[in-house]
Amino acid sequence: MPVSKPRDERTVSSYCYQCVAGPDLLKVRIENDVATEVAPNFDAAKVHPAGGKACVKAFGLVQKAYTPNRVLYPMKRTNPLKGREHDPVFVRISWDEALDLVAEKLNAARAAGVNDEQGFPRLAASFGGGGTPTAYMGTLPAFLAAWGPVDMSFGSGQGVKCYHSEHLYGELWHRAFTVAPDTPLCEYLISFGANVEASGGVCGVKRHADARKRGMKRVQVEPHLSVTGACSAEWVPIKPKTDAAFLFAMLYVMLHEHRRERLDLVFLKERSSAGYLIAPGGFFLRDPQSRKPLVYDLKSGKALPFDTQGMRPALEGKYTVDGIELGPDSELTEHSKAIVQPAFAHLVAHVKDYTPEWASAICDVPAAVIRRITNEYLEHARIGETIEIEGVTLPLRPVAIALGKTVNNGWGGYECCWARTLIACLLGALEVPGGTLGTTVRLNRPADNRWSSVKPGPDGFMEYPMNPTGKNEWLSQPTVRSAHRTLVPLIANSPWSQALGPTHLAWMMQDEDFDQLPQASTPDVWFVYRTNPAISFWDTKRIGEIMAKFPFTVCFAFTRDETNHFADVLLPDCTDLEGLQLLRIGGTKYVEQFWDHQGFALRDSAIPPQGEAKDFTWIATEIARRAGLLEKYNEAINRGAHGIRLSGPSFDFSLAADQVHDVETIWDATCRAASAELTDGVESQGLAWFRENGFRVKPFSRLQWYLYPKVVETGLRFEQPYQERMLRVGKELGRRLHERDIHWWDRQLEEYEPMPHWRDLAALWEDALVKHYQVRIEDYPFWLITARSMQYSWGNNVTIQLMKELAGNVIGHGSVVMNESAAARLGIADGDLVEVRSPLNSTKGPVVLCEGIRPDTLLIIGQFEQWETPFAKDFATPNMNALVPMLLDLTDATGSSADLVKAAVTRVGRAA
Amino acid sequence: MSRWTMLADLERCVGCQTCTAACRHANATSPAVQWRKVLDVEAGSFPNVNRTFVPVGCQHCADPPCMHVCPSTATRQRPDGIVTIDYEICIGCAYCDVACPYQARFLVHDPSFAYGPAMLSETVRFDDARMGVAQKCTYCSDRIDFGLENELVPGIDPRATPACVNACIADALIFGDIDDPYSNVSKLLREQRHFRMHAEVGTEPNFYYLTGQANGAVDVLPASAPALLQAQSGRVRTRGVEPWHQEHWNWKAAGNFLCGGAGTGLFAVVAITALNGAPPLIGGLLALGTVALGLSLLAFKIGRPFRFVQVLRQPRRSWMSREAWVAGAFFPVALVAVWFENQTLLIIAALLGIGFLICQAMMFYASKGIPAWRVKTIVPLLVATGFAEGAGLFLIVAAFMPDLQPFAEPIAVALVILVSARHLAWRVYFDELGRDGAPTKTLEIYGVFAPWFLVTGLVVPLWLVAPGFVLPSFAPALFALAGLMTLVTGWIFKLILVTRAGYNQGFALDHTPVRGFGAAGPSVKPGWHSH
Repeated sequence: MPVSKPRDERTVSSYCYQCVAGPDLLKVRIENDVATEVAPNFDAAKVHPAGGKACVKAFGLVQKAYTPNRVLYPMKRTNPLKGREHDPVFVRISWDEALDLVAEKLNAARAAGVNDEQGFPRLAASFGGGGTPTAYMGTLPAFLAAWGPVDMSFGSGQGVKCYHSEHLYGELWHRAFTVAPDTPLCEYLISFGANVEASGGVCGVKRHADARKRGMKRVQVEPHLSVTGACSAEWVPIKPKTDAAFLFAMLYVMLHEHRRERLDLVFLKERSSAGYLIAPGGFFLRDPQSRKPLVYDLKSGKALPFDTQGMRPALEGKYTVDGIELGPDSELTEHSKAIVQPAFAHLVAHVKDYTPEWASAICDVPAAVIRRITNEYLEHARIGETIEIEGVTLPLRPVAIALGKTVNNGWGGYECCWARTLIACLLGALEVPGGTLGTTVRLNRPADNRWSSVKPGPDGFMEYPMNPTGKNEWLSQPTVRSAHRTLVPLIANSPWSQALGPTHLAWMMQDEDFDQLPQASTPDVWFVYRTNPAISFWDTKRIGEIMAKFPFTVCFAFTRDETNHFADVLLPDCTDLEGLQLLRIGGTKYVEQFWDHQGFALRDSAIPPQGEAKDFTWIATEIARRAGLLEKYNEAINRGAHGIRLSGPSFDFSLAADQVHDVETIWDATCRAASAELTDGVESQGLAWFRENGFRVKPFSRLQWYLYPKVVETGLRFEQPYQERMLRVGKELGRRLHERDIHWWDRQLEEYEPMPHWRDLAALWEDALVKHYQVRIEDYPFWLITARSMQYSWGNNVTIQLMKELAGNVIGHGSVVMNESAAARLGIADGDLVEVRSPLNSTKGPVVLCEGIRPDTLLIIGQFEQWETPFAKDFATPNMNALVPMLLDLTDATGSSADLVKAAVTRVGRAA
Repeated sequence: MSRWTMLADLERCVGCQTCTAACRHANATSPAVQWRKVLDVEAGSFPNVNRTFVPVGCQHCADPPCMHVCPSTATRQRPDGIVTIDYEICIGCAYCDVACPYQARFLVHDPSFAYGPAMLSETVRFDDARMGVAQKCTYCSDRIDFGLENELVPGIDPRATPACVNACIADALIFGDIDDPYSNVSKLLREQRHFRMHAEVGTEPNFYYLTGQANGAVDVLPASAPALLQAQSGRVRTRGVEPWHQEHWNWKAAGNFLCGGAGTGLFAVVAITALNGAPPLIGGLLALGTVALGLSLLAFKIGRPFRFVQVLRQPRRSWMSREAWVAGAFFPVALVAVWFENQTLLIIAALLGIGFLICQAMMFYASKGIPAWRVKTIVPLLVATGFAEGAGLFLIVAAFMPDLQPFAEPIAVALVILVSARHLAWRVYFDELGRDGAPTKTLEIYGVFAPWFLVTGLVVPLWLVAPGFVLPSFAPALFALAGLMTLVTGWIFKLILVTRAGYNQGFALDHTPVRGFGAAGPSVKPGWHSH
């Protein structure tokens, strides 16, 4: 019979938010105060898009709590020498001593002024995982708010390992910090490297599994047969970083090989700028009086402002009209009888050379395949059809394109994001049921609601909080060490902006001279939580050397790792199952989180903290108190800096600002405010209620999944196909930089095209490597790429045995994945130990030979090669991060690069 | 009556291993002991490659070979079809492991924990009863029973549903009552194309693989499928999927068959010669000692040696149990027979010895998890080699015992017949494996061994025996050498059979699934030789 021992047991509600696809709601089984099992939270089955299921990573949390490798006590460094080669000689200290040490440095920094002589914040903080640490850091955001300026630009993967271009352009075009197909209604999806089955979390996986059963065809365009490729109807093994050519060829087929009626002409005329006339200087031709862009009205035979009612806008043709053109810095040019064309006509001409045959030579994908896929895509677009959503009739366009990392970031990211969004516009499939949707906003405000962020901006488009580039407005003095607002207008100025970067510039400016910018100082105090840039960034060796120079680093530590090796103080916070926090859930969020509800979930303290680990809220309160910021800190909590405002029109659970509040008091008030917020003040249940029930939600209208109804309601248009605003901003930025004699950003300025041209990215990468490392590029015949793993939360859970065990079932983990035929030519057999070498560095590991990867491509999954993190440091697993050079030449205009490099591979040992 | 069945929808499964994790949690198994796991199977050649994720584990067969072979009755089948195991009875003989065509048994001898010493969570859940016994998936029968007691529907209510099914984030695992035509599983099986893994083995699994809509285009590529299958041994990523060697029956387990065959064969020869006046004592005691040595090796090999007596509990089904019962009768009868030179008892003992030998041969035949063992022709081969080894051993003994010399010639003649019969049985067996299919590595091992079997097992013994008849003074030595070659060849064969050719069934797919759109793919059976 099966073993079934009587147990003294109970279950506690919690959540897992180790990656951006969370939070997953879960239950923890507790036996005699010991956590033993993680299970789905089926209480949430009816409100959670994935039925209350929890991702595989959540099952590692029990081991995370009890691993003997934890840092269980505050520690301080006793060896003043910092460096990988120097043992920090951490010694155990009391919490009082540790917090006093931290407070002493903070107080000294504050006394000297929160910004240093260069104007940079003296306090810096780095948090990893796409913002997910905020789900675990309790009230630390309230402390940071109370402090004032904090430099959050020291990145740990952003830019090179995020959807960087998509974040920026997505927010501009359709309030899409990330972009997703409307999978429940989509019928044909082309996925360029988007690995939703590995990174889409429980919601993404379920939506796509359901879609497969419904008959959705997904074509995976990717150099290797990823988990997502495996689950797709078709795999197209494209050459790395050539996706833009494929997408451009799709535009060609749609615009040059099909009748115009195959496009959604109504959408193009009414909801895009396709009809806007382009003046000879490349900017919109405008009405001299209203300065509105002009559209040629076929009915009246005149050029009229775009918002004139009753027009029949021309999309093609040449017209002789009068008007003005507003160039950079408001330079005005008057045009009389100028011969102009609508933006759409320019688009048609722009793509005329991008034939499938042209793309085939670049992508190594047969032209017939590109043409067939495009034609299939068109056949599924259902132009003219509608669907009713909650009583509102909306267009139904069940076709979408998804982009993955390395496709939608770095050079080429603009081209891909533009083409993807444009294709959606051509078919009227942007922000409508079945089509391509944004998920959430992070750069526009308010951040918790996409609809509310839709505000009228210039020229019929949505407003966008662009950083100023005007002559007297440009921020010539960077506010943080990445100079993000100075260099990237599109990065905006939300709390997320500086964490997006260009975060590698913050590191580069520490040891490189950027002409005409102030030499970046080191931060006086650097806080690090749930991130490990010494492993997870690019050129990690260099990152380590830079962080060794930081004078005072405070790491909130679960185990020792490669970054906290350089720390001065280690503070052990409660792990996921030990701490207490209330989190906002639902609505629409990253990846594929589209809920029909919104509300709050509790991460209850399921088990007592191990050792002397402390709840993060307690730590934040103590730091605030000792730094003399208690009042401001409490006020920040009352304002909702930790996630929920404690007062509203009909409720007030604000905390007394002058008192120290314990953890449960803070979260009880927060729970009460959450209850009140959800019930318009009718109910006010607190922590006890949430402990009993785990979560609380109210309905979220499915209409809000789609931006289209809001765009129609406000009479606005999507800013496609012609990027006049970006052209102007780019010109102005160039002038400002050149006025200051800054020329090292000139290559990035080239990206500001109204419609991107094809750029030979392979040559761009190769030239950069040759220039900086003086190598023969022929010696590096492979593209080395990476992929996400569902089992590993980037590098954050590498110390959990269960994750290593489970990842071992998914082939490719822990190895260099290589095509069998390519390996045979080099005399490499399955399991051999190989060295993968880029011009910058090398890594070693066993090789896994397979057929599901291009012969010119190598794949290394995940973030490894730890040298300090317990358990993981014994993996002997290869890692590509140290091989990817951090170069300005490889940085695009949005401040990102892509995670790939040219590499060579050689056998260094036989299979065991 | 309900019959609980699990479906794995290969169109849905994404290989995330959440089911594996949930099973590890719910059942508190040791690190790397995965009652449920998901295989990652790649087949084809670039760029036409198919990668499929395949959940595997105990298939709760309707005709479970693990239960049939279990000597202790630890493995049972409930009326609802769930195959269970009682860790208090199991002796850890691993016979179920070699009987299972799905590699679903786990024998853990020593406690092991995630990071060396047990963590708090591991201490709370550690169960010593799991050590030294065979573990397996129970379809979380405790949850099902709890559910039924509380009027919950297994497969529908999470509290009554296996943990892996609950945890599956793609809803790829489905659980329900296949005897209920209106159940979730019955409905899905009616609607979708499906198969059962290794259906040809005939164990009738209560575990089905869904591969897409039944009314969709199904292109199983019958013409190219064999080619793909052939290609897989060399070209396709097959680790963890193709057959690997059984891990639990080592040289000690083989020793039981080496000694058992030779010993009972010797006893039969001793009995025959004794009926014709030869002294049986020395040869008989040697035979008994040989058999006893083999059994002792086995007793020390099992996971729970102090429960050895439990081996007697299942003579109705288990050939291991029967072997134990026969051995229990064989030893006293044989001992009395040789001691008192009682001819009747000698005949009975010899027959019991032959029965023991047949039991051993049938143990292999019942091992449905090992393709090289489960064929019918293994039985005559093992019986023939037992007799041949017995004759060979007799000739070795006779070389040192003048009393037995008069019997050497007829036994040498018998040896000629027996090694010829053995070789014929070997050829029939080897041909059957090649004809009906076997793991490629098994056939490779046998391919290397086959010439030696011919030379040392047949040609050399014949070559040595023949001159013995014309050169009487050299006869004892020549006959003994022939016997030695016969014995050694037989033993090497059995050692290879157990420790080198014992590759398991591996995993296979009838066809790969549809993925939303298009056709099902070809069959995948890596690591197999087939015609």
